[in-house]
Amino acid sequence: MNKTKSISLVVLILTALTFSNAAQAKLNVVTTLTDLRSITSEVGKDLITVESIAKGTQDPHFIEAKPSFMLKMSKADLVISIGLDLEIGWLPSILQGARNPKIAVGQPGNLEVGPMVEPLEVVKGNISRSEGDVHPFGNPHVTLDPIRAGQIAVIIGKRLAELDAEHATQYQANASAFDTRMKEKTKLWQARVEKSGVKKAVSYHKTLTYFFSRFNIENPAILEPKPGIPPTSGHIIDVIKIIKDQKIPVILVENYFDPTVTNKIKSDVPSVRSATVAVAIDGAPKIDKMDDLYEALIKSVEGK
Amino acid sequence: MKSLIFGMTLFSLGLTAQAQTKAFNPDISVNFLGLFERGTNISNDRTQVPHNGFSLQEAEVQFLSDVDPYLKASALLSVSQNPGTTDFGISPEEVFLESTSIPNITLKAGKFKMALGKHNQLHTHAFPFIDAPLIHQALLGDEGLNDAGISASVLIPAHWYSEMIVQGFSLSNDTLYKSTNSGSIGGLAHFKNLFDLTDDLTLEFGASGTEGNNQWGKTSSVFGSDLTFKWRPAEGGKYKAFIWSTEYLNGNRPGMSTDTAHLGGLATWIQYQFAERWWAEGRYEFVGLPYSSEIPLQNKQSALLAFFPSEFSGFRIQYDHLMTAGKAVQDHAIAFQYNVTIGAHPAHAY
Repeated sequence: MNKTKSISLVVLILTALTFSNAAQAKLNVVTTLTDLRSITSEVGKDLITVESIAKGTQDPHFIEAKPSFMLKMSKADLVISIGLDLEIGWLPSILQGARNPKIAVGQPGNLEVGPMVEPLEVVKGNISRSEGDVHPFGNPHVTLDPIRAGQIAVIIGKRLAELDAEHATQYQANASAFDTRMKEKTKLWQARVEKSGVKKAVSYHKTLTYFFSRFNIENPAILEPKPGIPPTSGHIIDVIKIIKDQKIPVILVENYFDPTVTNKIKSDVPSVRSATVAVAIDGAPKIDKMDDLYEALIKSVEGK
Repeated sequence: MKSLIFGMTLFSLGLTAQAQTKAFNPDISVNFLGLFERGTNISNDRTQVPHNGFSLQEAEVQFLSDVDPYLKASALLSVSQNPGTTDFGISPEEVFLESTSIPNITLKAGKFKMALGKHNQLHTHAFPFIDAPLIHQALLGDEGLNDAGISASVLIPAHWYSEMIVQGFSLSNDTLYKSTNSGSIGGLAHFKNLFDLTDDLTLEFGASGTEGNNQWGKTSSVFGSDLTFKWRPAEGGKYKAFIWSTEYLNGNRPGMSTDTAHLGGLATWIQYQFAERWWAEGRYEFVGLPYSSEIPLQNKQSALLAFFPSEFSGFRIQYDHLMTAGKAVQDHAIAFQYNVTIGAHPAHAY
């Protein structure tokens, strides 16, 4: 009887260890942004765990390098960031504090996706900080283009497959499915923007550059006089003139900026519509997937 | 024609090689601090530091780069006025190498700011106020505890951020050690803990201590503790934030002939950010804890207003009021400082 009990106990322990090892076998991914977390989750599904450092309501340029983020990164198998200097003020400190050689820059556990999806606004020639907080390697807000989001999924799928070869086929299939879905939905979204008749829009920062580019919306004025510099009254007067001259119908204010700056514009140009928009997953309620994010942006353009 | 093509090819190769070489250049930045001060207890002699009127408080030139896949290195050279003259000198404020490839541990060697409390690890441009707290100046001197040595910091496996730092260093600090034996090594330990109370609020608690032989042939020591609350909401955090930080140091310098051989004090300060580029600060300091009638007790209150147009420039104005026991006249001072960084984008510490 005792022998049977002992055997049962050993089996129980071995089973527990097996399940424990299976749990540990999941790749632990940390992303800098919620958009990257969402795309990674689409690719890795239940084969991975993934969490984001920044929240969807935060300006990704200015995240504080909390030591608790270092703790998260210390246990990560893969860190996925945008690059293009978006996270330069905080990610290097977190990576250094994590003391995790697997995720050091240049290692397979460190993936920067921004440079791999043909960034826009890459600076050619000389550059100076008199032009504001310019990103010399290109505008980093690449995830707001659904086509580039699909490309990012494929890139992430490839890296996950390298790190976890056993599930390579699943990662690549999931990435491909997401990529295809984005391509198909983009056609529908493009048709809706076309139907809305909106050809021009104003934004607060150059956050929506890729979104505007994909949906053929011109962005002739930005509320910031220069990247990273808050709006001044003189610049707002210039913007009002551009809105009037070019008959711009809508202002989209990214929701981590102060939306009251549009009050003056709306009082001068009552016909202009102003919307505060989420520009990241979790940036507003019910923005849980990339599809939700693009859908909400399209509705803001449509005025719905 | 062939020679032209050959020449163009060589030129093109040269440009490529030049671009590739530049990619390996370290990140370079220069930070400098300009100051205007006027105080009842500040000298009018421009050879003194600080002195009334205009001065270049400090310029810091920093080079930062990976050395290879295993190490990174930082060299920060400080340009500042030599006390007693109007000349400026260059000194290696921090020059060190750091490991990047060892799991859970960071090893460091070189000359660097020792991990005694929080404030001692800050560069001048990152001080929350224009000056260091009184107790830091009294126990550690103008430059703080900053020496050649080695350091190991270990991330403790816990559910919160917990770090243990152990350091060994040369005992050259003038006010605390100034050991006559260069072979004598000091020790320091720092235990740091940070808890995320909510997504918006963190609590950091640290305890640290250092010990080593002093110039009087005895053992000097300092114990420090610090407590910091930081609040920055995930929504609207660009426009508002609050910090409350308190640091206590207690030093013992046996053999020292003055009344301040055993000296303790604290500094507690708050910072409230009320707009995207503006914040106000207040600080209270007390020197003389534990209380002793032999020590000239000091009370100081400071108020500061800061405007930072961008990440790379800032302007601050600070008022100080100092009361010293046994001194009939109270001291008042006002300082205006500009703080500018050019070059590589700075990495911000939490």
